[in-house]
Amino acid sequence: MRRLLLAGVLAGAAASAWACGEALGAGTQKLAGEGWQIAWRAAPSPVPVGKHFALDIALCAPAGQPLPAALRVDATMPEHKHGMNYRPSVEPQGTGLFRADGLMFHMPGRWELVFEWRDAGGAARRLAQPLTVQ
Amino acid sequence: MKPLAALLATVALLAVAEPLPSALHDEDIPRILTFGPWPPPLQPDPSNRVWGQPAAIAFGRQLFHTPALSANGRIACASCHQAARGFSDGLPRGVGLARGDRNTLALHDLDLQRWYGWDGANDSLWAQSLRPLLDAREMGGSLASVAAAVRDTPALRQGYRAAFGTEPGADDERVAVDTAKALAAWQATLRSGRTPFDDFRDAVARGDREAAARYPAAAQRGLALFLGRGRCYTCHLGPTFSNGEFHDLGLPHFAEPGRVDPGRHGGIRKLQASRYNLLGPFNDDPAKSTATSTAHVALEHRHYGEFKVPSLRNLRPSAPYFHDGSAASLREVLRHYSALNEERLHADGEKLLVPLHLSPQETEDLLAFLDSLNDTP
Repeated sequence: MRRLLLAGVLAGAAASAWACGEALGAGTQKLAGEGWQIAWRAAPSPVPVGKHFALDIALCAPAGQPLPAALRVDATMPEHKHGMNYRPSVEPQGTGLFRADGLMFHMPGRWELVFEWRDAGGAARRLAQPLTVQ
Repeated sequence: MKPLAALLATVALLAVAEPLPSALHDEDIPRILTFGPWPPPLQPDPSNRVWGQPAAIAFGRQLFHTPALSANGRIACASCHQAARGFSDGLPRGVGLARGDRNTLALHDLDLQRWYGWDGANDSLWAQSLRPLLDAREMGGSLASVAAAVRDTPALRQGYRAAFGTEPGADDERVAVDTAKALAAWQATLRSGRTPFDDFRDAVARGDREAAARYPAAAQRGLALFLGRGRCYTCHLGPTFSNGEFHDLGLPHFAEPGRVDPGRHGGIRKLQASRYNLLGPFNDDPAKSTATSTAHVALEHRHYGEFKVPSLRNLRPSAPYFHDGSAASLREVLRHYSALNEERLHADGEKLLVPLHLSPQETEDLLAFLDSLNDTP
């Protein structure tokens, strides 16, 4: 049985203050930076190697900033400098909620799950989750 | 008991009371367990409306062995996919009406595959089954000639009627695709059997040290190398010992002097251009529930020269090996990995493949492990 081991750290937000993505339910992973927060949950979980999986994602903006309409999701193996063999599709599911389909970790090893978007000023924003897939 | 709890209990049991044989370590146990259990149940294919239906399976077997579908009336699927050779042909490159560019792939456990062919140009077993019928170098037919053979050969016409509940109609393309779907229905039943490795893996799973110890010591050392320094499991993973994807092994890219075989890059282009992919009109599943890979596959330059990671089950009868049939034996395959030409590998970052520099003993051990993945003694 393959397990996704989360090596990422929760940056920024204290757990007690976390409100982003509560609706995603149990098994949600969280990351944050510069006031932005992302919560995501994989399906299936744990993520199997060599099989497709999807992500339910909640993106939360800093106070006073609007949410972007679009989000990009990708994953790479930093040491090998290659990404997935598949290009995920990301569909908005309502305010700050997205569904990403078509992801696959085709090899075990160190991966980085990447979320990218543009803020209201057009600046590129990025949060990344390091993962070890076994 | 939940699966994870059961796994941990097994690991704990083995770690305390039943250590693995010497070459393997307790931390190898979780990975060893991922190579099974075997055999898995047949996986339904909703894109093929006759999948699993006995009449279609019988018709598919009949079609597989008839030469009537070929342009010259003398070549059957079974001409190249010979049961005694693991449904391969023993040749470096397949020979139908003419010599092809690639080694004839063995046929087993096809229901577990995501992509078909060395370049993955097809995303279903039925689309892959249509391809050689129409390939000028293989059986050399056309949609019209295949449909005519089914309509005009009484036994095939009867088989079609039994499988599809109707006479073959006037639509050549529909009849030809149905023919391929019946071929797929039969091929999907070709499940490989249990192997000595499976007995070992299951013994490990249940903490049966005595049974695990019956697995030959050389195979255990080979498995340890497979999981350890060789890092073979990186691509050869799961119950089929394949991640179902494509990699560049540093083999020559030329199909013949002056002509490159683009491998996966060309396969994706063919897939995306095909009317017979799972996004097309011949998918019998309105929800297209198995089309995720097709919808999301990415065409990138790095796919040039990549070829499919084959299953490692039942390799013995299907020599020679590699997409171009350039390795006459598994010993030659290991020699390739041992003395890998890194100049031919297109890796920007940390290299996944490095020369293994296998000692003679390590080579014998890996061969013993690979031999334990055969379902016949």
